[in-house]
Amino acid sequence: MNRTLSRRIFLSLAALGAGARLADLAAGYTFAGPAHAAPARYTLDAARSLVRFETSFGPDLITGDMPVKAADLTLDFANVANCRVLVRLDVAHAKASFPFAAQAMKGPKVLDSAGYPEILFKSTSVRRNGDGARVSGDMTIKGVTRPVTLDAAFYRQKGTVAGDLDHLSIHLTGLVNRSDYGAIGWSDMVADEVRLDIVARIDRTQ
Amino acid sequence: MAAPLPTFGLLTRVLHWLMAAGILSTFALGAYVARMEVGLSNLWLFGLHKTIGISLLALAGVRLLWHRLRPPPGPLPGPPKWQMALARATHRALYVLMFAVPLSGWAYASATGLDVLIFNRFVLPPIAPVSETWEARLLLLHQTLTRTLLALVALHVAGALKRGLISRDGTIARMIRG
Ligand code: HEM
Repeated sequence: MNRTLSRRIFLSLAALGAGARLADLAAGYTFAGPAHAAPARYTLDAARSLVRFETSFGPDLITGDMPVKAADLTLDFANVANCRVLVRLDVAHAKASFPFAAQAMKGPKVLDSAGYPEILFKSTSVRRNGDGARVSGDMTIKGVTRPVTLDAAFYRQKGTVAGDLDHLSIHLTGLVNRSDYGAIGWSDMVADEVRLDIVARIDRTQ
Repeated sequence: MAAPLPTFGLLTRVLHWLMAAGILSTFALGAYVARMEVGLSNLWLFGLHKTIGISLLALAGVRLLWHRLRPPPGPLPGPPKWQMALARATHRALYVLMFAVPLSGWAYASATGLDVLIFNRFVLPPIAPVSETWEARLLLLHQTLTRTLLALVALHVAGALKRGLISRDGTIARMIRG
């Protein structure tokens, strides 16, 4: 991982609040009693969440972010295998670090936002991985679906107490190769690998 | 239409040498940007190439108009007929390419789907469909036409040098000093 991304992640984590181990979150459920010891629905706080990406552009980087159009989250910290995640990203409103990059990315040679306005991620399996989780799922970009794995780390939001599961922050990282999805435009200038760095702030609804 | 002048006027000479310098430097810049490793620090060179190229297109328009308003003097006599005909054909082809080369660049840039931005602020309207097929074809056209232009410039320079160094008939002098 290069230095810029590490620094940005560090900064975003500093803003996230205290880290939370999956085991502690599961304990939170136990405390909440049997009535709550089941998968819970969460909504995404889209205004305070960010799906960021970066890729190499010659010796430099192109960075940007993509708004979340909708997210459907069912989480079960006691049994992570029960977690279900469905996220839709809004390609048409994606931003990039300079105007040509945004135009190129949304154009027909890369994401083709006119023909494919959404990127879809649907989890297929969630496993515990150390203090966090490993989320495997199907990513649909430009109409092509491929398996992708994201690493998730959990954080308490600022101003919440340990074990509070009503408000959480999740940091997800992973990567996609755009050639897997036929999004190969400008591959002579822009790298194939796109690194994802997602901060999701979520609130429990039930 | 005014009668032809016996010599080349100042505007005619300025246009001639300005475009000569512009065409050579735009060719060199184009060949450079097409091969460099593109990054944030040199992305602007594409814009510079387009800006100078479109300026040359505008100058070609001015030049053609001026040619009609103030027809230049005919060639100095001397060379055999076939050389006179070759020079005439070269000049015609140079005029055609002064328009065709920048237009093919504009069309190619349009086909990529990116804004054709000049002077860092004006977006030119696209003049070709956005498609990878058109993009490939138009790049090939731009490359072929620019190479043809360069070959004709070389022929044109060879002709001028022959007149200047072998015939020594004042042809070069009148394009420099009028
Ligand atoms: C007198 C005018 C011009 C000359 C002599 C010229 C010449 C060239 C040359 C020699 C190349 C390199 C081709 C290669 O070897 O691959 C080139 C590339 C290019 N030209 Fe021009 N050009 C002119 C005008 C324009 C204009 C007006 C535009 C756009 C508005 C343009 C857009 C481009 C672009 C985008 C490339 C880069 C192709 C790539 O990325 O490989 N050119 N030009």
